[in-house]
Amino acid sequence: MHFPGIYFRNWFSCLLTVLLAASEFSALAQSSSKSSDLPNAESGPAIYKKMSLSELMALEITTASRVPEKLSQSPSAVQVITGEAVHRSGAMNLADALRLAPNLQVGQINSYGWVISSRGFNALFANKLLVMIDGRSVYTPLDAGVFWDAQNILLEDLDRIEVVSGPGGTLWGANAVNGVINIITKSAKETQGLYVSGGAGSLLRDFGAVRYGGSAGTNLFYRVYAQRFDRNAMDLQDGSRGADALNMSQGGFRMDYYPSEVNTLTLQGDFYGGDYNTRIPTNSTLDGQNILGRWTHTFSEESDLSVQMYADRTWRRDIGSTINDELTTYDLDFQHRFPLGSRQTILWGAGYRLMKDETPTTSFLGFVPEDRNMQLFSGFLQDEISLVPERWKFTIGTKLEHNDFSGFEVQPSVRLAWTPTERQTIWGAISRAVRSPSRIDADYHIPKTPPYFVGGGPDFDSEKVIAYELGYRVQPVQKLSLSLATFFNQYDDVYTVEPRNLVGGGFPFTIQNGLEGQSWGVELSGNYQPFERWRLRGGYTYFHKDLWNKPGHSFSDDNIATLGNDPEHQFVLQSMLDLPNHFQLDLTGRYVDSLPKPELASYFTFDVRLGWQYDEHIELAIVGQNLMQEHHLESPIGQEIPRSVFGSVTVRW
Amino acid sequence: MIENISYPGPSRSPMRRYMTWLCAVAVLFIGALRVQAEAADTEHQVKAAFLFNFAQFIDWPPSAFTNTNAPICIGILGADPFGESLDETVRDETIHGRTLVVRRSRKIEDLKDCQMIFVCRSEKKNLDEIFAAVKGKPVLTVGETEGFAERGGGINFYRDGNKVRFEINPAVTRQNGLRVSSELLSLGRIVKSETKGKSE
Repeated sequence: MHFPGIYFRNWFSCLLTVLLAASEFSALAQSSSKSSDLPNAESGPAIYKKMSLSELMALEITTASRVPEKLSQSPSAVQVITGEAVHRSGAMNLADALRLAPNLQVGQINSYGWVISSRGFNALFANKLLVMIDGRSVYTPLDAGVFWDAQNILLEDLDRIEVVSGPGGTLWGANAVNGVINIITKSAKETQGLYVSGGAGSLLRDFGAVRYGGSAGTNLFYRVYAQRFDRNAMDLQDGSRGADALNMSQGGFRMDYYPSEVNTLTLQGDFYGGDYNTRIPTNSTLDGQNILGRWTHTFSEESDLSVQMYADRTWRRDIGSTINDELTTYDLDFQHRFPLGSRQTILWGAGYRLMKDETPTTSFLGFVPEDRNMQLFSGFLQDEISLVPERWKFTIGTKLEHNDFSGFEVQPSVRLAWTPTERQTIWGAISRAVRSPSRIDADYHIPKTPPYFVGGGPDFDSEKVIAYELGYRVQPVQKLSLSLATFFNQYDDVYTVEPRNLVGGGFPFTIQNGLEGQSWGVELSGNYQPFERWRLRGGYTYFHKDLWNKPGHSFSDDNIATLGNDPEHQFVLQSMLDLPNHFQLDLTGRYVDSLPKPELASYFTFDVRLGWQYDEHIELAIVGQNLMQEHHLESPIGQEIPRSVFGSVTVRW
Repeated sequence: MIENISYPGPSRSPMRRYMTWLCAVAVLFIGALRVQAEAADTEHQVKAAFLFNFAQFIDWPPSAFTNTNAPICIGILGADPFGESLDETVRDETIHGRTLVVRRSRKIEDLKDCQMIFVCRSEKKNLDEIFAAVKGKPVLTVGETEGFAERGGGINFYRDGNKVRFEINPAVTRQNGLRVSSELLSLGRIVKSETKGKSE
C-alpha cells in the first residue's frame, strides 16, 4: 500500500480549494446582481408587478419545471430523462431513450439487441444494472441482464426515466451494483383522451399506436393502449443482410382509483408478442404478460405506506442458441415511511419474490438443472437524519437479502449531504452492493451431461463492490443546473471461468470468483434553458477500469476483456428548440470513445427531429437517426447501424 | 519496498489518479460557475411583486422619511435571493409620489434608513439581533423563515403547496408605528408574538 499521508495531503488541499471556490461562488452569487441579459419586456417581474395581491396568491410557482426541483438537492448520481425529452429526441424505443442519459453506456448490437450499463462492465452479459418499469423488475435471473427487445411501453405515456448510477443496493436490492434504471409511466389521470400515432421509415419500417384514457365518476381513471412496430434487419459487418428484423405488438391498460384523498389503488398490465426474423429453420419468438397492483396510503406529508404485488411471465425461443426460456415471477413488496422525532425519517420495507425459470434446449450445452425455482427474501431499513435542518443530512441504511445461491447478503450504505445554500449540495457516500449469482453463473454446463467441460459454478458467490462516491450539484441560476458525480469502486469476487482443480489445470472448468479490480470515473451532466424556447441537456462521462486475477487464479486478459468493453470518454448533448409557427427543431448528438478490447473505433453521430404542430391536436414529425455516417458499429460483435429516417403523424384528442 | 510488492494492481495507483482527477475537475467546474450571474427563480420574482404590493398597503409615518421627496427604500439583508427581479419590479414605479430604491447589505446598520427590510434566510440565526435593532422604528421587516413573524417580524412568507402565502404580526407593525391597510390584513394570516423566555 502507498502511504496514506500522500493522498491525504493532496486530498486535503484539493478539498480545501473546492470548498473555498464553492463559498466564494456563493458569496459572489449574493453580491453580483448584475445580470448580463437586459430584462425582457414581458419577463416574470414585469408581469407579476401588475398583479394584485390575491392574484399573486393564486399563482402556482412551480411552473412545469424542466429541472425537477428536488433534483438540485438530491445527494446521489441520479439523472432524469423526462417523457418530453424522449419525445423531442425522436427515440422510438426505451433503449434509444436511455441514450439521453449521459451516465449510461448504450451500445446497439442489432435490430433487437442492446447492451446497456452504467459505470462500465458493458458486455453481452452486462449484469450489474437493476431495471424497473413502474416498480416491476425486468432484469432476468437467467443472466442478470435485460432483454431490451421485450421491454416496451407506450412512450407517449412515459412520465420520466430516473437513472441512478452507482450502487442502489440499500433501497433497491440485488443487481443494483452499478446502477438503477427506474422507468415510470404517467398515471391514468394524466393520460386522458385519445392518442393515435403512426408512421413509416427506412429502418423503422412501420409503426402505429393508439391509446384511450377515460374516467368513471370523479375518482376512477383508466387507459387502454395497443401498439405495433416492424424494424428492418441491419447489415452484418461483411455486408450481407442480417437475420434480425424485429416486430413487436403490445397492448395494455392502467387503472388508478382514488377512493379517498389518502388512498390510491393502481392496477396495470401489459401483454406483448413478436418475433425476430432468424428464418432458418424458423423465426425466434418472444411473448409475455404481466399484471401489477399497488395500494398507497398517505398518513401525512412525511408518512406513507404502500403494498405492491405483481405477476410477470416472459417467454422466448432463441433459434441461434436453441435455448428457450420461460420465466414466471411473483413478487410482493411492502414499504413504509414515517418520521421519528423531528429530525429523522425512517423508511423500511420487505419483499418476497418467487421466480420459476424453465430453459429447455436441444443444444449440447445449457442449464443444469433445466428448470429451477428461485426464492428471494428481502428487507431494508433506512434512517435519514437531519443533523442541521436544511443543511446537513445523514442517511444510513442497509438491505438484508436471502437468495438461493449465495444465502444472506448485506448491503449497507452511508451518505452525507451538505446543502450550504438552497441551490447547491455537496454529497458523499460509501456503499456496499452485491450482484447475486444468476443461473448463467451457477447452472451453465457444457455439455449438459457429464463428463462436463464446463461444470457450472457450484461455489460461485456474489460479486461485490464497495463504492466511494463524491458529488456536487448546483443550480447557479434558475435556468441552469449542473451535477458532478465521481466514484471509486473496489470490486471483489468478479466472474471467471477456470479449471476447478486450480493447481495443474484440467477439467472441468467451473465458474468462479477469480478477479478483483477497481474502477473510477466522473459523470458530469446539466440542464440549461438559455431562452424560453431553447432547452439544452447533456453530459460527459469519464470511465476507467482495471481488473486482475486474485492469487491462485489465471483468467486470461482476453477473457477478462469479455466482462466489459468500456469507452473512456462519452458525451451527449440534446437541444430542443421551439421555432415560430409551431415548428420544433431538435438535435441530439453523441460521441462514444473507442472500445479497448476487442478494439472498436470511436464514433460521433446525431439525430435530428423536425416537428410541426398543425394545431393542438395534430402533430407531424420527421426524424433522422444516426445521420453522421452511412452506418457505424457500436459493438465489435454488432451489426452495422444504418443512417435512417422516418416520418410520423400524431393525433391527440 | 513492501508497498510495491504487495500491491496487486497496476503500478500507478488508480486511487491516486482518481483523486488528482477529482480535484482538477472540481476546481474547473466551480471556476466555470463564477461567470454565471445570479438570476432569481420564479418564487422570488413573485415575492418581489408581493414586496411592491406591501409597500402600497402600508402607511409609514412622515418621520420615516428624511423629506417629502425621499424614496421608499427596500433593504435586502443577507444573501439576496431576488437577483435583478426586485430592481426590475420597482423600476420607474412610484407610491404616493415616492420612487423606490433597493439597497443590499449584510449588516443591519447599513439599512437603518430603509422603510422595508427583507430579511434573507441566511440571517436566520441573527433574527433576535435584527428585531432588536429596528424595534420601535418605522420599519417593516419581511422574512421567509419559519417563526419569523412570531419572533418579532412584521410579515413572513410561507408556502402553501405551490402557492406563496404570507402572515402578519399586527402587534409588531403597530409597535413600529406603521398603519397596515385592512385589505392586507384580510389576505394574510394573523399571528401573535410568541411569549418570551423561550431560549434558542
